[in-house]
Amino acid sequence: MLRIANQNFNSRLLLGSGKFSSPIIMQQAVIASGCKLVTLALKRLQLKKPKDELLAPLRALNIQLLPNTSGAKTAKEAIFVAELAREALQTNWLKLEIHPDPRYLMPDPIETLLAAEQLVKLGFVVLPYCSADPVLCKRLEQAGCAAVMPLGAAIGSNQGLQTRAMLEIIIEQATVPVIIDAGLGAPSHAATAMELGAAAVLVNTAIASSSDPVAMAGAFANAVNAGRTAYLAGLVTPQQQATASSPFTDFLAAL
Amino acid sequence: MHITLNDHLQLLTAETTVSTLLQQQQLPTEGLAVAINNTVLAKRLWPEYQLQPDDNVQLFQIVTGG
Repeated sequence: MLRIANQNFNSRLLLGSGKFSSPIIMQQAVIASGCKLVTLALKRLQLKKPKDELLAPLRALNIQLLPNTSGAKTAKEAIFVAELAREALQTNWLKLEIHPDPRYLMPDPIETLLAAEQLVKLGFVVLPYCSADPVLCKRLEQAGCAAVMPLGAAIGSNQGLQTRAMLEIIIEQATVPVIIDAGLGAPSHAATAMELGAAAVLVNTAIASSSDPVAMAGAFANAVNAGRTAYLAGLVTPQQQATASSPFTDFLAAL
Repeated sequence: MHITLNDHLQLLTAETTVSTLLQQQQLPTEGLAVAINNTVLAKRLWPEYQLQPDDNVQLFQIVTGG
């Protein structure tokens, strides 16, 4: 059971709601994934064509909605977006993300920490998207964040766990859930993250941009479960030399 | 009186609340957030907040995102 703040979730897969071809495909993918936490974003409303077909399919699933602060370039902007999101969805849960650089979308560690400190004081349950930096993750935890969300690779890059060595240190040190966010392009990446001891993973592009998002959502769910089960079972240590699995006796020597 | 609504000038009658404005615009309130003069207005205050001349009203909406 994944526990964040005081809430339990019976899935360790979080889904981003972006890039799906339609709200119905998104809803079906959420169902297939078994996920209980779905991220959303905020933008200025276009008066000519307000869209409201997004929330109803998600509300129908009785899942936790997790607004993000995407688009914010500074702590000040992120806090403004957080306050808007709290009113829009009537939740104090927040995925904090501040990435001023449009090319690589790397999270700004200084602004993220500043915003996290203030948002926690304002009563938000803060889940910050951040660099895979063990010191930063510790500081975010000390600031009162309910989890940390270090990146595996750049958002939407599908490159997998490029930051693996740092993620291992973060997981070893953390006393809050570590949710690997961004860059997971294949179920095997998610399985590996879970084998390392991650509490959960967040996936969006790899599912939404697949030619069959619903099937891919199921594949990621299986991978997350497999990786978690393997982590709990205890993985064996790789070694250079062979060790026989079958009896290694000389019972054929008489031939 | 005039206000600005997402950069568009709007003519309103006096004593218009935020809730009334949203109804006039036929906007869904689910997933919507309002800021007046760059300060977020709590949803519970929408029915009682009376708009003032030259208020800068910004509306935001929940959209998909990762």
